[in-house]
Formats: sequence, C-alpha cells, structure tokens
Amino acid sequence: MGILDKKLSLRDRNKMLIGVWEDEDQLVATASKLVHAGVHIHDIYTPYPVHGLDRIIGARRSKLARIAFFCAITGFTLMTTMIWYMYVHDWPMNIGNKPVRFTPSWAPVMFEGTVLCTAFGMSFFFFWRNRLVHGIKNETLDIRQTDDRLIVAIETVAGMDEKAILDMMKKGGAVEMREFENGVQTVI
Amino acid sequence: MIHDSILRDRLVTGDKSASDVTRDIARPILNNPTTSWKIGFTLSLVFLGIFGVSLLYTLWTGIGVWNINKSVMWGWDITNFVFWVGIGHAGTLISAVLLLFRQKWRMSINRSAEAMTIFAVICAAMFPVFHMGRVWVGYWALPLPNAFGSLWVNFNSPLLWDVFAISTYFSVSLLFWYIGLIPDIATIRDKVKSKLGKTMYGFFSMGWTGSTRTWARYELVSLILAGLSTPLVLSVHTIVSTDFATSLVPGWHTTIFPPYFVAGAIFSGFGMVATLLVVARKVMNYENYITIGHLDAMTRIIMVTGTIVGIAYLTEFFIAWYSGNVYEQYAFANRAFGPYWWAYWSMMSCNLIAPQVFWFKWARTTPWFIFIMSIVVNVGMWFERFVIIVTSLHRDYLPSSWVMYSGSLTEIGLFLGTFGIFFTCFFLFAKFLPVINMSEIKSILRNRE
Repeated sequence: MGILDKKLSLRDRNKMLIGVWEDEDQLVATASKLVHAGVHIHDIYTPYPVHGLDRIIGARRSKLARIAFFCAITGFTLMTTMIWYMYVHDWPMNIGNKPVRFTPSWAPVMFEGTVLCTAFGMSFFFFWRNRLVHGIKNETLDIRQTDDRLIVAIETVAGMDEKAILDMMKKGGAVEMREFENGVQTVI
Repeated sequence: MIHDSILRDRLVTGDKSASDVTRDIARPILNNPTTSWKIGFTLSLVFLGIFGVSLLYTLWTGIGVWNINKSVMWGWDITNFVFWVGIGHAGTLISAVLLLFRQKWRMSINRSAEAMTIFAVICAAMFPVFHMGRVWVGYWALPLPNAFGSLWVNFNSPLLWDVFAISTYFSVSLLFWYIGLIPDIATIRDKVKSKLGKTMYGFFSMGWTGSTRTWARYELVSLILAGLSTPLVLSVHTIVSTDFATSLVPGWHTTIFPPYFVAGAIFSGFGMVATLLVVARKVMNYENYITIGHLDAMTRIIMVTGTIVGIAYLTEFFIAWYSGNVYEQYAFANRAFGPYWWAYWSMMSCNLIAPQVFWFKWARTTPWFIFIMSIVVNVGMWFERFVIIVTSLHRDYLPSSWVMYSGSLTEIGLFLGTFGIFFTCFFLFAKFLPVINMSEIKSILRNRE
C-alpha cells in the first residue's frame, strides 16, 4: 500500500449517489443503517469532524502515531550524533575545564531537535497520505460541504438497488439527492 | 438526541447554526475593511514606522545608542525579549494543554491565541538578534563548521539552547496554527468571490474537502502535535530562565526560576489574550462566540498563575534570607528598597495584588474591567523582567562597577515599535483569516456532554 490514500480522489470513479444532510444525528443514523444493509459508503464530507463516522464507513485506524514515534527516534539520533560529532569528535572545546563528553546539558538541544523532527515529519506524512498539496485542485462535491451541509457519497456497483438506497436516504433525512457521473451531477 | 448540559453554560450563545457561524466569522474577510479596522491598522503602521526608524538608527550608528553599559549589559532589550516570549506562551498553552485536558472553551480563543504566539515570538526574536551588534554574522549562532568564521557552537550554553528552543517553538507553533487553519481556509475558498481570493485561499487550503478519513487523521495529528507542544512550551521558558539561572549573579542564580518563569509566561500570555479578545469580541461582534463564560475562565487562570508568580517572589525573598548568603540577601533587599524600589513595587502590585480582584465574580464577568486588568498584568510582567535583569546587574560584586540604568530613546522606540509589528500582523490576520476556529465551533453547537 502506498502512502497516498487513493480513496480520497474522485477521479476515475463509477457513478456515485450523493445525499445531502443538514442534521448530523440523522446522517449518522442513516449512514449506519446503509452500512448494515450492505451498502459501501465511499466517503462522507463534513464541515466539521463528526465522531464515529470513520468507524461507520470502515476507515482503518491511522498509523500516524507510529510514524510520529519513528520521526522522534530519527530526530533524537540525528541531534545526538550532531552534538557528539561537533563537540566531542571534530573540535573539542575546553570551556571552564568542563568535561567534553555526554552531559545533561546536551538534553535541551536533543529534546528540541526531537520535537522539531517529529512535528514536521509526522505532518509531512499526514499531508502526503491525505492528498493535501499546495495548489492542488479541490474535488468538492458540493460547495456547502465546507459550510453547513453533510454529504454522503456512495459508489454504485453492478446489481446495486439504487432505488432502495435513495429511499433509505430520503427516509433518513436527506434534503437533496443527486447522481454524480463523469464529473457531472444530476438532481434526482 | 440533543440536550443541554445541566453542568455548564452553552459555549456558543444565540442559537447559532453552522451557516450562521460561517457567516459571522467570515464576515470581516468577505467584506471591505471597517473604519475601526482602518484606524487600528494605520495606528499599528505608525508604531511599525517607529520600530523601523529606531532600528535603522541602531544599525547605522551602532549598539552604543542603547544605554546598556559594562555592568548592565542586558537592559530593555532582554527585558523586552523575555516579555514577548512570555506573551507567546499562551497560544500554545490554550491550544495544546487545554486540548489535552478536553477543555472545549478553548475553541473560541485558540486561533487568535496561536496567532498571537507567532507574532509575539517574531517581536521577541528582534531583541537578541539586534543585541548581537553585528547582526550580519548572526548565523554564527547556528551549528556551522569552523570554516564559516566561528567555532562550532557551545552546547553547554543556555544561549545556544535558546536558539534551538525559540526556533523550534516558532516553527512548531506555525505548523500547529496552519494545520488548524486548513479547514477554515477551505471554507473561505468556497465562499470568497474574487479571483485572487479564490486562487490564494485555494492554494493554502491544499485541496481540503472535509473527507471523513481526513478528519479522523487530522484529529489524530492535532492531538499528537498538542502532546508535543505541551512539553515544548514548558521547555522554551525553562530554557529562557536558565539564561539567568545558570549564571552566578545574585538574584539570578536560583533553582526556582524555571517553574516561576513558566507560570509568569502563562500569566502574561493570558493577559495579552484578554487584551485582544475583549476588544475583538466587541468590535467584530463575536460576543456569542467569546462569551462572558470564556472571559470568566481566562481570568481564573490569570488569577491562579498571578498567585503562583507572587508566591515565587515571596519564596525568593525567604530563600535569600534562609541561605545566609550576604550577596543574595543584598540583591533582594536592594530590589525592594534600593533605587529601583518603584519598579519592584509596581511588579508586586500588578502581578500579585491586582489579580486577586478576580476572586469576585463581578470582576471576572465585566469586560471593560477585564480589559483594564489585562493591561495592568502586561505592565506588571514587563516590570518583572526589568526588575530581575536591571536590579541584579546594576550592583555588581565590585562597588566601583555600580551604575544606574535607564532606557535610551532608541530602546524605548524599539520596544514601542514591536507593538507596531505585533498589531500590524494581528490586524492583517483579523482581515484575511478567521479569528475564531469555525470548524471546531461548529462541532460544539449542539452542546453535547
């Protein structure tokens, strides 16, 4: 598996059914029902984090914490090596006749370097994994999904009972429903 | 199921919907600047000009235009450095520490507090950088090979620790702030009408769509960054305090400095947050988002940290007496009753005595009074740094080195000028970016508990 999450892109998708919600609780309940009915929800777009939706759509637990730990170890090793090389190996400095070896006075620089490497390393992987790139074309299904609407996107597959799904969405409080095919949306 | 908490007041009042939040908070960005914004911004530019003139004069003539001398080699410059770095701590504290403690009231104030951190650290960095005198070789402070002109840096020196600590703090705070801004920049991208606006906000929103998968990872990355920033914020001011504590100067050589400086930083940082937000909530009509409850919570923290700082002042005095060290005893007696007694008692009045007024609910819930008190706190914290630095240095071990010190016009100009940098940045931030975190606020509208 590559680092980039390819599920985030809407390019080369089959036909999709789009449901628009105003109410978060109704959306969560309906999404849960749809998944229990065997429907595969491609993604849900919300203007704010709605807890529990990731589990409903079957998103896997993120490995970012492990990556952060790896970055921390890298930062710590880099800083320790750097100080040892400069201060002990290459040019030992006699300042106040203090010993030129590992001392607790190295700790602040080692700590700061570790934090810096962890924060930027983890964030870099976060951006990469989530297809967050400066200047990239945003693939929003609805301009209001960053304002006040919650959007459910269901990718259709052969043999799928689209009418039953649309009925479930309507009963579940969807205020609008659309079809999305080849970059064009049609109101149902 | 929607229900109000029986334990707490609503964090957002006025029965706001998600679209109301977008409309209210994005209003200053989507509309033309108001008259009050124009007046404030112009005034900030005037102060920025004062900074420019003072700095040019310093660089052109030399560091001798400051009144620092062989005894008081740190004067207004390092006082101002510690003052601004301290202010810079509240942003990360509000965002990181309160996030870890699941304090949802932080959501209305974290964005502007984080912005304040970044601008305050920029102001702080000006002073040690230009205090170097030959600023064009300032890069010698970085770990560079001997061939670049200096030796390898000294890893035993707290001044070097500062280089690493402040640059890391600035970079990580900027990253934390920017990651927090991405969803809101995307909201503005989808609202703004002008082509330039669409291009700029589109560029910085990085293609954000609000996907559930991204939100899950986003919350995790925010949590880990908060976990990293919390020890970072403690380390930065601890390291600033070791600039003093590792020296042998009476009045500086004390182990209480790290916790005392950290508490002082939070105290002064919250003072500045209160100054900014009491005005912003009124001028920008954010009273439903930054409620009296928020001001109440902030003033409680100001009171607690002010008391911690006050106890530290008294402990220093006690330990000076208890140590039996005549130099230490003299240094503290000189602080309180020597020629700079006025600075010491200003500090005690503003930092220890004045915040005790926040025991009273009226004081915690009256915006104009909180504004005045926040100014008092900032003045007091500036005096604290002045007292620590100048009163300890002006009476050396050798009476022949004893001198008096007061800031020159250039030093005063530089200090006032940093307010120009700070407020110019803040006004630009208030015009082009959402001052309140819209996406987080939308998530607490239902007041779930």
